[in-house]
Amino acid sequence: MDKKDEKEKIGVYVCHCGTNIAGVINVEEVSTWAAENLKDQGVVISREYKFMCSSLGQELIQKDIKELGLTRVVVAACSPHLHEKTFRNACKGAGLNPYLCELVSIREQDSWVHTDKVAATEKAKAIISGGVSRVVYHEALEPLHVPIHPATLVVGGGIAGIQAALEIADAGFPVYLVEREPSIGGHMAQFDKTFPTLDCSACILTPKMVDAGNHPNITLLTYSEVEKVDGYVGSFVATIRKRARSLREADCTGCGICWEKCPKKVVDDVFEAGMGNRKAIYVPFPQAVPKYPVIDRVNCTYYIKGTCKACEKFCPTNCIDFAQQDEILTVEVGNVILATGWDLFDTRRITQYGYGRLPNVFTSLEFERMSNSAGPTGGNVVLRDGKTEPKVVGIVHCVGSRDKNYNEYCSSICCMQSLKFAHLVKEKTGAEVYNFYIDIRTPAKGYEEFYHRLLEEGTHFIRGKVAEISDATRLPSEEGKLVIQVEDTLTGNQLRVPVDMAILSAGLEPRHDSKALAKLFGISCSADGWLIERHPKLDPIATMTDGIYIAGCVQGPKDIPASVAQGAAAAARVMGKIQQKEIALEPVRATIHEEQCSGCRICNNLCPFNAILFHEDRMVSEVNPALCQGCGTCVAGCPAGAITGTGFSNEQILSQINGLLLLNVPKKQAVAA
Amino acid sequence: MKEFAYFPGCSLEKMASSYHMSAMETTQKLGVKLNELDDWNCCGATTYFYIDELLAYTLCARNLAIAEKTGLDVVAPCSACYKNMFFTAAHLKKDEDLAEHVNFALEEDNLHFSGNVKVKHLIEVFAQDIGPDELKSKVTKPLEGIRIAPYYGCQIIRPQKEKEDVEQPQFFEELISAIGATPINYPLKMRCCGGSLIISSRTAALTMVRNLLQSAVDNQAAVIATACPMCQVNLEVYQQQVNLEFGTNFSVPVMYFTQLIGMALGIPNKKLGIGKEFVAMAPTPLAVETAWGLPRKTK
Amino acid sequence: MTDTITFGQEISNLLHAAEGEPLKTCIQCGTCSGTCPVAGYMDNSPRQIIALINLGKKEQVLESNTFWYCASCYHCTVRCPQEINITELMYALKRYSIWKNRYKEGLIGPTFSEAFVKMIVRGGRSFEPVLATSYIFSFNTREFVQEIQGATELLLKGRLPLLPARIKRLENFRRMIGRIIPMGGLE
Repeated sequence: MDKKDEKEKIGVYVCHCGTNIAGVINVEEVSTWAAENLKDQGVVISREYKFMCSSLGQELIQKDIKELGLTRVVVAACSPHLHEKTFRNACKGAGLNPYLCELVSIREQDSWVHTDKVAATEKAKAIISGGVSRVVYHEALEPLHVPIHPATLVVGGGIAGIQAALEIADAGFPVYLVEREPSIGGHMAQFDKTFPTLDCSACILTPKMVDAGNHPNITLLTYSEVEKVDGYVGSFVATIRKRARSLREADCTGCGICWEKCPKKVVDDVFEAGMGNRKAIYVPFPQAVPKYPVIDRVNCTYYIKGTCKACEKFCPTNCIDFAQQDEILTVEVGNVILATGWDLFDTRRITQYGYGRLPNVFTSLEFERMSNSAGPTGGNVVLRDGKTEPKVVGIVHCVGSRDKNYNEYCSSICCMQSLKFAHLVKEKTGAEVYNFYIDIRTPAKGYEEFYHRLLEEGTHFIRGKVAEISDATRLPSEEGKLVIQVEDTLTGNQLRVPVDMAILSAGLEPRHDSKALAKLFGISCSADGWLIERHPKLDPIATMTDGIYIAGCVQGPKDIPASVAQGAAAAARVMGKIQQKEIALEPVRATIHEEQCSGCRICNNLCPFNAILFHEDRMVSEVNPALCQGCGTCVAGCPAGAITGTGFSNEQILSQINGLLLLNVPKKQAVAA
Repeated sequence: MKEFAYFPGCSLEKMASSYHMSAMETTQKLGVKLNELDDWNCCGATTYFYIDELLAYTLCARNLAIAEKTGLDVVAPCSACYKNMFFTAAHLKKDEDLAEHVNFALEEDNLHFSGNVKVKHLIEVFAQDIGPDELKSKVTKPLEGIRIAPYYGCQIIRPQKEKEDVEQPQFFEELISAIGATPINYPLKMRCCGGSLIISSRTAALTMVRNLLQSAVDNQAAVIATACPMCQVNLEVYQQQVNLEFGTNFSVPVMYFTQLIGMALGIPNKKLGIGKEFVAMAPTPLAVETAWGLPRKTK
Repeated sequence: MTDTITFGQEISNLLHAAEGEPLKTCIQCGTCSGTCPVAGYMDNSPRQIIALINLGKKEQVLESNTFWYCASCYHCTVRCPQEINITELMYALKRYSIWKNRYKEGLIGPTFSEAFVKMIVRGGRSFEPVLATSYIFSFNTREFVQEIQGATELLLKGRLPLLPARIKRLENFRRMIGRIIPMGGLE
């Protein structure tokens, strides 16, 4: 296990990282120790420096490579996540193959997690020793260059997805925009007004929808879902199920006679949030893009009983096709943007708020539809009976948010949404409005001003999280009303506020199937279900998987401006990739040694990236280097030991362990250290 | 036949003897055997937790250790006893230091608790182990037309144990439906009756009793069903005091759920301890309506 | 350490099942007070008590009747968005105030609790008539009469015990308690 024939010349570089490392670890001692004790391993120089990642730090390394003829470099600094690329490039600049450089972490794995300075210093020595033993077995590698397909897949046709698709399409590249519902538009299409300017949601959204629908570079795939994704950055292959609309789009004019004549009424739980009806053949809303309806086969009388066909009888272009099958498309794309949005928190879960039990308790989406002039009440704010205007309305903030019993996070949009509701209620009905809040959070442009406007309008603000809403009336003034029970925490008064209508400003949740989505695209989501970005501050739209980006609420709750910004940002990242035309892939990957392969095919099924193919003729398996991500699963799984991973060979791992245990350091010196 | 260790608790010895009698009679009829714990002691009520937490755990642990010896799950009919025993068992199982301390004291009575007892409330035995379907099949005299207000009270449900519904549970309603009666829906079914305050903060407690009775009456309950001796005494015995204090005129029978189940199973009143109430339950739905001055409904 | 321990830490240390200082996580939303059926009778709402503890206002907390009015119904606890066990906090405050022998005057709670504990130590089980003597004389005449009427009716219905119940292995039981608290303190 010891050394190769020819001795390597290794340089060790220990970083202070200001006081991040040097505050806990005695860097000078570590550096001296390495120079003295790792000599037998081939260490010819060991240096420490304040900021190894600075230009001057990098130049130190480059100078040594040139002057001392270093053949290997070990940098002891931060996590490879941050600066592996920096130091590899520095080596490359000095003519050393970048993969002969090893970055070991004495910050994240040592100084940041320990307080005992002596022990931390000893640990740093062991970590460096491991890196030195390992780097001997590194091989010079060349990255693999693959071309980038110019097309992009955008999943989710809400405002974030539409924005991303338009930006890329306008730049001249093809986009496939996939949407599960019959129309693009997402939640924004359901809203009435948008805060804080109160401009009409449809008025600002529909032009973008029309643009997306007409754009020559956008292929709109509505009523469709992505079922499978293969490949890697630059060349993904997505399998998309285009569900049967049960009509021939080419012939349909969207005239609307079919849904007018359809005799079957269905409660619309999606677009109308259960507040209104649609037909079994329908477009979700008048401005839908595309204009073609779909037949909801679960509810259509023809599919249930075999008769009816009213739509077919009346269709002037004869485009109804009851026998139409789902279509399976495969598209090739270079990059993917996920913008699948959010679900509304199910307010039934907070039983003490009475939604579903007490008729005049409404959810925020229900109120949006009620307030919308194209909605089920024609824009009238009325009680569940459909006619009575409320005289007193209570708006409950933080429903399902900021609560460990439901979701711990703040949904960020509900304060502004509640303020908007308060304004609309007052404007439309003149009712007294009470906002029950814990904290008012209005941190974006124009938001605080909107709050002030509401204060001036005379909306009541009561600081207290609502304990319960009930019909348990005690006083004559409460008769027939809902009683909102709350502590006014600013005065310490226990209040019972009788209202006619309560609106639950429900929080945002990840899509119910967000975990499946993450799995499908090979990315990760947090415990609460939001997809995880590559870096929370510096890279909020990329994911840990190259070529897959996230935009809008799929990453976390956010309002319309932020969603639009993320859609555009993701598009910019994708266009940058496309312009590069090709991409260098990490050469860290697995190789199967044909002579040792028994052809058992165990690795074929283990590979999560479908990168291993089996040659029937020779009865051996082979790794496709472009698909391999270097995860090492097959290496560990091969019963014959026929697979090695570059960068993670058995020799490299075992020698690193020996190094960590200081087995390679002469005993006397190890003890003395 | 299902078998449980049974911890009656102090109240059931005398004050709530009818709960004890009806519990024994109904379970026997439904094929469940309750074996009273040998030489059990007071669970400490909530009061012990006011004085010394460790002592409170030790008192409960003694009963749990006695139960553990039988190898059976232990059932408590009183909500306070149940809550104390349930959480003592949970804490002792989780916290080795606490268990060691408590077991050191238990040595004096040659006992040891190793955390292997499941604690149930009596109503859980009916709702889960027997189940409403099985119960329904054994009913011989369904309490048809009787409007019963299920009163859950506090400590059967709260604190939350896992992720069960602590705001709008339905198991009590299901048992009432199973015996042919009508469970009424009233908003205060989960609210506290103030039982533990009746001595120390009388006015507050009487107000809570008043609100509860009012809510049940507003929703035309003929009888309130309870599953706790504290709630029963508080709602029934203090009804007169509520009437004197607030000038009301309540006369609502408050029965143990086991008594109502017993009636539906055809067990004679005497065996169910019926006759010891302050407010007797009206024998027929018609009489209830008359007693309440409600308009008579013709079928 | 004892010199620097805050009132909040002292109270948190009395919360057996909790880790750290849960009261510090309170966001003062008022769910507990809005839920509490007795909040209207309290000098300070449960939320205010938590704020006072976090401020270190020991005197104000001990002078408050709040925790003696807690009905142990745990309704606040199941609703608290920060999962603070507020009911246990009220127990802890009761223990603290009994331990320090500091509580608001005119409360029945503390004397009643002590009488109850002594009774259990004596017999192992509860015996209502003895218990009654601990509080009945602090009632006013009207309350006294009502209480006696209630008791008489219970007696007539055969629902009051005449003799105190005792457990069999009482000697063991008392030695067991002796391992937890010094018996002299209670006798």
